Amino acid sequence: MATFLLIVHGLIAVALLGALSHQTLATWAPAGGRSGSFFSRFRTVPPASFANAVVVLYAISALLGAIVYLYFRVDIRPSLEQAGHWPALGFFDIKEHFISIGAALLPAYWVCWRRPGAEDPYRLRAALTTIMAFIVWWGFLTGHVVNNIMGFGS
Amino acid sequence: MTSSHAFRTFAFAYGTAFAVLYVIALKLDLALFTVYPAQSLVLLGTHRSRDIVDPAMSFLAPAMYWYGWTTTAALGALIFALIATVFPERWTRRLWSGWLWVVPVAAMAACVYLTMPWFRL
Repeated sequence: MATFLLIVHGLIAVALLGALSHQTLATWAPAGGRSGSFFSRFRTVPPASFANAVVVLYAISALLGAIVYLYFRVDIRPSLEQAGHWPALGFFDIKEHFISIGAALLPAYWVCWRRPGAEDPYRLRAALTTIMAFIVWWGFLTGHVVNNIMGFGS
Repeated sequence: MTSSHAFRTFAFAYGTAFAVLYVIALKLDLALFTVYPAQSLVLLGTHRSRDIVDPAMSFLAPAMYWYGWTTTAALGALIFALIATVFPERWTRRLWSGWLWVVPVAAMAACVYLTMPWFRL
């Protein structure tokens, strides 16, 4: 069951990562009329259209992560402690703190993107999106490394 | 329009307050409850292993505080955000909206600082 949940958690995280990466780049460096290169095409998206998907994917991913965390604490972490992987556990702790802070920012993030340009400055929207992208990238990379740590450490 | 503004105030206040309260909960170890997943047990408040059994037993009864810290901060932020919606619109508009990203970034930095002991082991 834990493995299944972890795989679903990872797949949703990939979708979230893609949505936020598109949105962040399209917000900071919107592409012009031409979209020839890969980088240009990556940015040629209406960033506001990702907001609802990001909120839903983040919420589901965080919920699944919170469930999988129970298995991690009982079955995985004691082994990592015994093996002395303290920095990895530190990075994982930072991940859980960041995820909580990011989850609390979701309503404000959604409000900012609901009617972009209407009430809140562009910089606020861009900053919030960047924070969310950073949190998700951190969570994804840390989770991935911790999941594979025996491969890295041994 | 008014309800839209109220929700905006609520969302902004909630995100900002949560970040502050989460760091406080983390620093002061204010978990609303402690989870013992191996025993399928949830105890109200913060319980360190040495409160109950020998510290060496923490391998058998690992405790989790993250859920408790998050709930503490969420409840506090909820109260703060609900109070914020009561204030008149002209007051809340005067606040710099940049606090919404400055405070969480500062809170994230504080969380990293509070996690530093892991890297000195």
